[in-house]
Amino acid sequence: MTSELEQELKQLIIDTLELEDVTPEDIDPDEPLFVEGLGLDSIDALELGLALQKRYGIKLEADSDETRHHFRNLRTLAALVEERRNA
Amino acid sequence: MTDSAMTDRSRAFASLLDTPWRDRDTDRAVAWNPEAPADTAWRSLASLHAAIGAWQATLAASADTPCGWVLSTPDPMAFCAALIAAWERGDRVILPADTRPATLEALDADNAGRLGDLPGALTASPGAHAPSWGELAPQRVAVTLYTSGSTGEPQRLDKTFAQLDAELAMHAALWPLDARLVLSQVSHQHIYGLLFGILRPLCERAPFAADACRYPETLHAWLSRWQAQTRREAVLISAPPTLERLPETLDWPAVGGILSGIHSSGAPLAFDAAAHAERLLGCAVREVYGSSETGGIAWRIQQRDTRWTPLPGVDVRADDDQQLWLRTPWLPEPAAWTAQADRVVIEAQRFQLLGRTDRIAKVGGKRVSLTAFDHALGALPGVRRAHCLALPRRDGRLGAVVALDPETIPHTHEARRALIRRLRDALAPRFENAVLPRYWRFVEHWPSDAQGKLGAACLARLFADLDDPRAPRWLDDVADGPNRAHLTLEVPERLAYLDGHFDDQPVVPGVVMVRWALHAARDRLGCHGVCRDMTRVKFPLLLLPGERAVLALETTPQATSTRLRFTLTSQRGVHATGTLTLVAPEESSHA
Repeated sequence: MTSELEQELKQLIIDTLELEDVTPEDIDPDEPLFVEGLGLDSIDALELGLALQKRYGIKLEADSDETRHHFRNLRTLAALVEERRNA
Repeated sequence: MTDSAMTDRSRAFASLLDTPWRDRDTDRAVAWNPEAPADTAWRSLASLHAAIGAWQATLAASADTPCGWVLSTPDPMAFCAALIAAWERGDRVILPADTRPATLEALDADNAGRLGDLPGALTASPGAHAPSWGELAPQRVAVTLYTSGSTGEPQRLDKTFAQLDAELAMHAALWPLDARLVLSQVSHQHIYGLLFGILRPLCERAPFAADACRYPETLHAWLSRWQAQTRREAVLISAPPTLERLPETLDWPAVGGILSGIHSSGAPLAFDAAAHAERLLGCAVREVYGSSETGGIAWRIQQRDTRWTPLPGVDVRADDDQQLWLRTPWLPEPAAWTAQADRVVIEAQRFQLLGRTDRIAKVGGKRVSLTAFDHALGALPGVRRAHCLALPRRDGRLGAVVALDPETIPHTHEARRALIRRLRDALAPRFENAVLPRYWRFVEHWPSDAQGKLGAACLARLFADLDDPRAPRWLDDVADGPNRAHLTLEVPERLAYLDGHFDDQPVVPGVVMVRWALHAARDRLGCHGVCRDMTRVKFPLLLLPGERAVLALETTPQATSTRLRFTLTSQRGVHATGTLTLVAPEESSHA
């Protein structure tokens, strides 16, 4: 099941990164966002970080293990937003 | 070749400086009007003289000589008359590459008056006026042309009479027209069409068709009329976009043997397209490789040899980076070597074209060779040809225009995604993930402008939907005649209209499809009316995001309106069809 927040994040990813061939249904919440799976790259990571900061006020260390963990897939990203938003 | 043929030939050709249009025998035919009855089809030198005189009356009333004139008209006879009128007066002629307002405004800085079919342009004076002859000089600028601007701003190029004459004499010796009819499918506003479609027949005293031959149907009809009237041969001046799209459905054998030569230039013709054209038209395609800057460089008939033979007088060599250098008599400095942006392998006086020298782009600050991408993509199964480019978007992300085998073309969102993934995966071992193309346009026919080039305007159209969330993704269009066209479109996944129609299944609303048909009719068929009435409009099948469809349009002029029939069809079936009645904007306000 996809939560409302996950749906919102899917749209955020598509719009921010201008993924013209991707619809929200194409993003599997458990599939990796980077390289395999959705195929995002290092430039996308920076863009996405910026978008998260703008929308939810979340600040991430650019190149930490922690960031890499949060960016693994849509579920981990949603968990991050859920946690920081309520903090 | 017999001696007498040789003499006839040398007698037929005169250089521009020898002014063949001043011949005393004014009954001689200059042009042939394919749309006129046989007894009035010929346009004589006398009628060209009258037209030159009429233009000179206009020019004399408007500006002191010497000056420049911006000339544009699709009518070859009017073009020819205006050109000679200005030359004989001592003026030079500027040929705009197109008639877009921005192009023309840029030329206004030259302070040259406009002639022909342009806004605010002068036309030839009515009444009879005898032409007056002046003096042409080898180093005088005859025409100023502009490049098509495939790599940025159009470049201005001055051509002197001596330059044009050198090239015309070479053509006349290599491929003499021998009184054959010249049918042109390319614009004489560019160097290739100017030389082959107008100046060659003029200087070789061969007739040219008095109208541009735009469609395969016209070509077929004219060839058969020409044959019936004269029993003589004809030569076709064409370009890849036209030759690639010749339909099988016409009765080509009925006009077999009439064409004795076909020229193609502007861009390389695909091997299969050359074979296809030769099979249908019954004549091999002779390609000319060159540029507006250099003029003709080399030629080939692919079916005999894919290598290019330098034109007589042209010297070629390759440097250590395989870049082509040439020395040609039709440049201002014939003794100087000039570098071309193409890479070649030279073997035994001929050369293979390997493609453009490296084009470099920066994606997110990383340098990438676009040429390397083009080659890597072009070598993948199902891919015929590819062109990558940096799009004016954040981080310079790359777009890719990819021509595919018909069976590889994706028709649905899922197929498109799967294909993109397959292509990206195939490129991944050689290129960094971040520099891989992000925006893909899959086409069956290589997109190109009228000159056969994938120019800036064409690229802008292919990627226009990125910035316009209301537009379909445009992939191809073909004019099937003055009143018919079909366009290939894709539904962008981010189309603004997809939202809010059904909850679970985003679809394109019917009214949007009608709107696309109206816009396409306006852009492609010049149909500017307002929709007053819709009949028999049906939307039998939902049109989905990512789906690929063909929009067929046909207009029928009525007394006070235009009827527009449209059908939008995908591989799954018909999505929309109907008939719209369009009226001129002012008419509708009364209704």
